Amino acid sequence: MEKNKIETGFSSDAKKEPRRVVFVAKKTSAKVVGDPGPQLMTYPHLLIREAIAFQLLVIVMVLVALFWDAPLEQLANPLLTPNPAKAPWYFLGLQELLHFFPPFVAGILIPTLVVIALVVIPYFNVNVEGKAIWSRPAQNLRIVLVTVFLLLAFLAVFYAWTIFLPTALVAALLLFSYTARAGEKGSFQVLARKPVSWWVMTWFIAVALCLTVVGTFF
Amino acid sequence: MSETKHPSFPGVPFSGDAVNEITRRDFLNEITLGALGIAGLGSVAVTYQFFSPNVLFEPPTTFRAGNPDLYPIHSVTFLQDQQVYIVRMPEGFYAVSAVCTHLGCVTEWKPDADMIACPCHGSKFKADGTKIEGPAPRPLPHFAISVTPDGELLVDKLQNIKPAQVLKV
Amino acid sequence: MASTLHSALQNLRDRKVWKSIFRRGPANTNRTRSLAVFGNLFLHWLPVKVREKSLRVRASYYLGSVSFILFIVLFVTGILLMFYYHPAAPHAYRDMKDLQFVVSNGVFLRNLHRLAAHLMVFAVFWHMFHVFYRGGYKPPHEFNWVVGVVLLLVTLLLSYTGYLLPWDQLAFWAVTVGTNIISAMPFVGDKIRFLLLGGNIVGENALLRFYVLHVVILPLVAFLLIGIHFWRVQKDGGLTVKPKDDDGKE
Repeated sequence: MEKNKIETGFSSDAKKEPRRVVFVAKKTSAKVVGDPGPQLMTYPHLLIREAIAFQLLVIVMVLVALFWDAPLEQLANPLLTPNPAKAPWYFLGLQELLHFFPPFVAGILIPTLVVIALVVIPYFNVNVEGKAIWSRPAQNLRIVLVTVFLLLAFLAVFYAWTIFLPTALVAALLLFSYTARAGEKGSFQVLARKPVSWWVMTWFIAVALCLTVVGTFF
Repeated sequence: MSETKHPSFPGVPFSGDAVNEITRRDFLNEITLGALGIAGLGSVAVTYQFFSPNVLFEPPTTFRAGNPDLYPIHSVTFLQDQQVYIVRMPEGFYAVSAVCTHLGCVTEWKPDADMIACPCHGSKFKADGTKIEGPAPRPLPHFAISVTPDGELLVDKLQNIKPAQVLKV
Repeated sequence: MASTLHSALQNLRDRKVWKSIFRRGPANTNRTRSLAVFGNLFLHWLPVKVREKSLRVRASYYLGSVSFILFIVLFVTGILLMFYYHPAAPHAYRDMKDLQFVVSNGVFLRNLHRLAAHLMVFAVFWHMFHVFYRGGYKPPHEFNWVVGVVLLLVTLLLSYTGYLLPWDQLAFWAVTVGTNIISAMPFVGDKIRFLLLGGNIVGENALLRFYVLHVVILPLVAFLLIGIHFWRVQKDGGLTVKPKDDDGKE
């Protein structure tokens, strides 16, 4: 043994000890990611853009803040509820839910489920692979129809029409895309290639948007 | 059992089952983790106690509602400072909470429609607190109502009673 | 004029003092430009080079940057507002009136703070949806997506705790309704509400608690998570660039 060699516990000889070069997971190909394209120096190319974004934003905000005053109502009075009492706009969707469901369901259960659903998105292979929902048309059509029917029935039972409407709309789009899946290029053809996660998120955004709009204006 | 190699320290004489033997390192790790766990639990408990106030400066929960003659028969009177409805019917008095059981908004008595309405999420109640419609999960509770020796109505907002119990004067 | 300024700056960058501060001379070579990034505490979490495609507006609409810029604006205006604010009822409301009518530029700063707060909630939501539709959550970005979801929650909490501070009718009833939702939680709901409000009603204690959450605890958490979020963007290999971006449509 050479006198300079230090025992590290790990062999540094690549010929004897194999090293991991690429990790080939089941079902994914070891295809090398394509050419990332040209690269630019962060300094100055990224930083100048950030600086411009900062300046534009601050200028616009200062102009708006000069002419649009923040509201201030009467002093807080625990004895008198204003009519209507409204939450901030981003909670108006939640407030609308409180019309339909008991506070535990609308205020705790649904938001918790939404947050959990958001967190686990990247940990499900179905979301990562992003296969088109109509890649297995016959089988998935049955699942989709049953799910949509149950969901709409559930919403109708609770008279939750402001959720029913966007749900029905997204479902209609989904079924249209089924009929157009084999057709020529077109907007429905594009939709037919979207994965399940895309449809779920679009449905979620449609419902949230509809509830917020209804909560804001009615 | 024959002597074998020590699992962590080769060369150290070692006897026994390699799986069940506790090394010094394992032992110290467990002691340290245990101590940290106990200290952590203790800190949580102390912080929890610290955050729970022991004395509260909140309005009293018992109040006098004046002479019974102030309230005509078949009337619903809203006492705004106390957030209570004093209802007088031919059979007697009862006190109904004015705080909506849905999310705590203060309701309003609508004499024209003969009902109690919540401005926040649209719950509606009858004068005796039973729900007509809306998201409220429970009827408005009835508070204990009694007459003081000097003849005034006394309402205790901490004591809920059954709606059937009516005070006769 | 411009050239005089330019040469003056050039001159400055060659000085000993400049070099002692920035650890480099003028950033006119790729080496010194790299140094400008990783030799700077405030920039070192950025990569030295970025993909040209990820700089295009359509790649991100700069929504992450916009959210962070809004956070900085909120940080600055919030600290300024703290100089005139007492977290006590009903003094807080009088401070609001003072900001509106007495303090120079007080109403402007409050407007700016409120506007930036609403915009930040909006920007963070949009940022999340945009990242989702571009597939930015896919490996190796999974954990950064989770950090982002937590940051969205922190943003909402920051906005909501700030909502109580003016102590007007809007603030009071929004918080009363909001905290009554918490007490709908089975078993622990009432206890959590009691701890959050420091009592059974939205009163002095609740105002102080929301204030401390709003100005100390949540901003610290947000700052920490933003740090992790930015750092992980680089560690996970930069922004997600779609193959579609190759077709030269941009």
